[in-house]
Amino acid sequence: MKTSKWMFKYIKPYVPGMVFAFLLTITNTVLSNVRPLIQGMIVDEVFEGRNISLLGTLVAAMLIAILLKDVFRIIDHYILEGTSQKIIKNMRVELYTSLQKQDFSFFDSNRTGDIMNRLTGDIDSIRHFIAWVMNGMIENLFLFVTALCILGSINPTLTLILVALTPVIGTAGFFFSRKVGPAFRNARACLSQLNTVAQENISGNRVVKAMVREGFELEKFDKANNAYKDANIASNRIAQKYMPLLNFLANTLNVLVLVVGGWMVISEKMTIGDYVTFNSMSWALNAPMRSLGWLINDTSNMLASAEKVKEFYLAEPAIYGNKADKERNKRLEGNVTFKNVSFSYDGAPAIKNVSFEAKRGQTIAIIGETGSGKSTVANLMFRFYDATEGEVLLDGMNVKDMSLKHVRKSMAMAMQDIFLFSDTIEGNIAYGNPEASFEEVKEAAIKADAHGFIERMPEGYDTIVGERGVGLSGGQKQRISLARALLKKPSILILDDTTSAVDMETEKYIQEMLAREGGNRTMFIIAHRISSVKNADLILVMEKGSIIERGTHEELVALGGKYKEVCDTQMGSFNVKEGE
Amino acid sequence: MARNKFDVDEKLESQFKFEYIVRLAKYLLPVKNLMFLTLGLVVLTSILNMLSPMITRHAMDVSLPDKDFKTVVLLGLGLLSIYVFNAVIERFRLKAMNIAGQSLVADLRRDVFMKLQQLPFDFFDSRPHGKILVRVINYVNSISNLMTGGLINLITDTFTVIVTFVMMLVLSVKLSLIMLCGVVIFSAVIFMMKNKQRRVWQNYSAKQSNLNAYIHESISGIKVTQSFNRETKNREIFETQCENVRTSFMKAKIIDICNWPMVETISTLTTCMVFLVGGSELVSGGSITAGTLIAFVGYVSLFWTPILNICNYYNQLVNTAAYLERIYEVLDTPVLVKNLPGAVDMGEAKGDVEFKNVDFSYEEGVKILDDMSFKVKRGETIAIVGPTGAGKTTIINLLTRFYDIQKGEILIDGENITKFTLSSLRENVGVMLQDTFIFSGTVYDNIRYGKLDATDEEIKKAASVVCADEFIMELEKGYETEVNERGSRLSTGQRQLISFARVLLSDPKILILDEATSSIDTKTEKALQEGINRLLEGRTGFVIAHRLSTIRNADRIMYIDKGTIKECGTHDELMEKKGYYYKLYTSQYAE
Repeated sequence: MKTSKWMFKYIKPYVPGMVFAFLLTITNTVLSNVRPLIQGMIVDEVFEGRNISLLGTLVAAMLIAILLKDVFRIIDHYILEGTSQKIIKNMRVELYTSLQKQDFSFFDSNRTGDIMNRLTGDIDSIRHFIAWVMNGMIENLFLFVTALCILGSINPTLTLILVALTPVIGTAGFFFSRKVGPAFRNARACLSQLNTVAQENISGNRVVKAMVREGFELEKFDKANNAYKDANIASNRIAQKYMPLLNFLANTLNVLVLVVGGWMVISEKMTIGDYVTFNSMSWALNAPMRSLGWLINDTSNMLASAEKVKEFYLAEPAIYGNKADKERNKRLEGNVTFKNVSFSYDGAPAIKNVSFEAKRGQTIAIIGETGSGKSTVANLMFRFYDATEGEVLLDGMNVKDMSLKHVRKSMAMAMQDIFLFSDTIEGNIAYGNPEASFEEVKEAAIKADAHGFIERMPEGYDTIVGERGVGLSGGQKQRISLARALLKKPSILILDDTTSAVDMETEKYIQEMLAREGGNRTMFIIAHRISSVKNADLILVMEKGSIIERGTHEELVALGGKYKEVCDTQMGSFNVKEGE
Repeated sequence: MARNKFDVDEKLESQFKFEYIVRLAKYLLPVKNLMFLTLGLVVLTSILNMLSPMITRHAMDVSLPDKDFKTVVLLGLGLLSIYVFNAVIERFRLKAMNIAGQSLVADLRRDVFMKLQQLPFDFFDSRPHGKILVRVINYVNSISNLMTGGLINLITDTFTVIVTFVMMLVLSVKLSLIMLCGVVIFSAVIFMMKNKQRRVWQNYSAKQSNLNAYIHESISGIKVTQSFNRETKNREIFETQCENVRTSFMKAKIIDICNWPMVETISTLTTCMVFLVGGSELVSGGSITAGTLIAFVGYVSLFWTPILNICNYYNQLVNTAAYLERIYEVLDTPVLVKNLPGAVDMGEAKGDVEFKNVDFSYEEGVKILDDMSFKVKRGETIAIVGPTGAGKTTIINLLTRFYDIQKGEILIDGENITKFTLSSLRENVGVMLQDTFIFSGTVYDNIRYGKLDATDEEIKKAASVVCADEFIMELEKGYETEVNERGSRLSTGQRQLISFARVLLSDPKILILDEATSSIDTKTEKALQEGINRLLEGRTGFVIAHRLSTIRNADRIMYIDKGTIKECGTHDELMEKKGYYYKLYTSQYAE
């Protein structure tokens, strides 16, 4: 889709209002001649002609014209500013909606700072275009055409000679736009990079301080900051070259009027009266030409931004739900089947040929080394990624045939990498169910053994936690994240390393609670500790992306393989201690 | 500390000071010659521009009636050369303003960023990161034109107004005073609107900041959002944020929009008064002659145009003030933890650590550490255990001076740590943080963060000591694989290993492991443990972990609860004591 066409889609609903505003602009362009005109009449008729009786009328006329013009101007600008605000709001909301649909590979390859910049800075240059540049174009076009008509009716020959300059100006304008476009695109890219560097520095401020890397960060920032500065200077440099040129060309109109017009008057091809009119009207031809520079400049800037916004807007997620899914509003029973599932990130295999079946109400544990593919199993169940080979089935349905809402509605995960929002603790727990009552939030917190420490905070559930839960310990964050998952009352609950940072007593409490209220809930426990997994109905031991052993705790211990080995390392100390 | 969330406007701690403008102007000092030169040239152009109507008039009044084409051509050439000169000067002016404006922005941004590096955690913890980012990027960008092009125009416009006014005074004092009245009236009106105008722009900048915060959070938390099916709700919130931005913008803009027409109306009224008074003087045969009046009228628009420009500049200033305040709020935030006067480089520490009656609280009234004292000898490894939120991480934050204590003393090698420079202290005390952060870049870049001049070989060695080598080699480009902040590419355990290698590379004298191994599987951890043991040789170590198998090997174990040390001793001693530690330890396998 062409950028201009894409833009027009947003402008279209507001066309009538904008046309009205443009008409007001044109009226004002006409009205702005009134003041000098009347001023001239006052000088000629009243002061020189001594016709004092006219003074009152002329002054009143001038006042009325200016008042009208000012009122029109206010309405005009209010409409244009208002329209541009509405348009960018619609753009932002649609872009945001489209972003939320993107899959993980999108977020893996686009940096936060860049995405943010498209939603803010880039959209702002579109706003400027709609509120100001379009209006400027119309106004200048009107001026140019009117001046052309009036002058043409007075003296077509001289007008034609003046117009002959237009192609020259047009050519200069064309080269300007050709050159400034890429420069703006470059500046935009540099701004995104600068935003990314600053954003990572702010988000990673703890690491920066812990590693005493302030100097290094400043160096990194200087590089991006200077690159952005240089890119701006470079794009302005093009304007520096062309703007004075365009102005100069527009000004030569005056010289042409003076010399050619003068020659025509002298050779009696034109009256001195017409010459005076030409002279006073030539600004109306030359002003639009002079404005061409900034119009091109700002339009190119807008186009560079609009392209970036459009690109994200049009990005199609590779993972999307089946819209024809008729059972989208049904809750899942909780049966999960993996059939020969393989998955690789950019060609690096993460899991290979994984098969298992989890029945409603069962607890499945996955244990294995760091990077053995445990979390990938959860990611595939949620359809954050699609299996490269094989099938993931929920209640017998292939996840690819279901709507995303259907897949994710009755599934909840307490994640390994906990993200909390800068909201109250209550808001964070209720994230998945914003309509939940306070009682429900509290209940979930109690189940996750979070109620106690929350109550101890000075503001309790109203305590605002920083982004990523800064200010809370790892264990506290894990329990809030667990409460958040529990509040969703899922049919399938995935605990991805959820209790690794809580102390043993807490883990025991949580496990007992989960077992007690489990019922029909299917549960996946991804963990390193034997103590976390040993009560599961089925334990999957993963290594390098494959399931190498499966069975219950007793079966696996009896098997004497990898699980037993892990078990011995972890429990070994226990036996020693018993002997003490 | 009070925390701010995305949908709450940040309160402004300080009011706008004129001083901000002066400080901003200081950024122009390096280019002051350029600025003065430009100013001079701009004045020169405006004088030249006054010549061009004279040329046209001469042609019309003299040359054409005389049919003197030669003079017409000469006048045409004269006009052309004025335009050429104008174009050259304009180009110079644009160039100068470009360099001055962009340098000002870049320098100001650098200072804001540099300040951020000195600010304590509180600053970052107490507000959404999007709200900090918007100041560094978006707000600073909006300043560029204010001090350069705008400033030059302001000076030339003021100059023009004064010159014109003097000319008018010479012609007629009475009429000039009428004009002056107009200026006084509209100045008063604008001045009265100032406070309201400032408030609405402040409000708008706050809404912009909120929106930025929400966008930032939405992107960072996208996985949570998608897994909880929150898209619709988030869209609603986002829409509300956008709507707030829109309405606050319109509220601010309407004042702007009315400003210009208002000034124009007042100027027209004043002009009308001049005409009426002048006209009646003319009739009554007063002191004002027709000639004076005509000349006076000629100055009227010459007088008002620059005043309208100045008025626009003033508007721009008031609008940008809302951003400037925020920028200077950052720049003027006091740095609480900083080098004391006379702080010295620590050199290489030996590693004795002592806490002497330390009291500490993050928020007033909530004591995290209460009169805590302990001593650790060089080379010793101390494990710190205790329930969640007991104050374990706080000890680390204090030892590295991320916060300053309220009472007591923290000593390294017998010297109070406040005697040393922060950077030398932190170079000696390495921390493996609870939250790992991966920067966008390659795996190499991320590990090299610990030692900037490390060779690839050193990096590989550090990675293999912490058992990260194996998984890194399995990534499609090994150490050259690009990873990023949200990097779903890497599991939490893998990210911990990378950040572990990072710390190893930095080779600190005192090493702190803060729940460093909670997401690493037992096998890796065992191998890691060997690595750590080797590493801890000759270093003082603090280990915070919940897995007791990891800490059994420590020389001493401290059990902490509610900000005090409840128990301290070796594993065996504490087991024998059958106290807190015993209870914690046995619960691990009790069934």
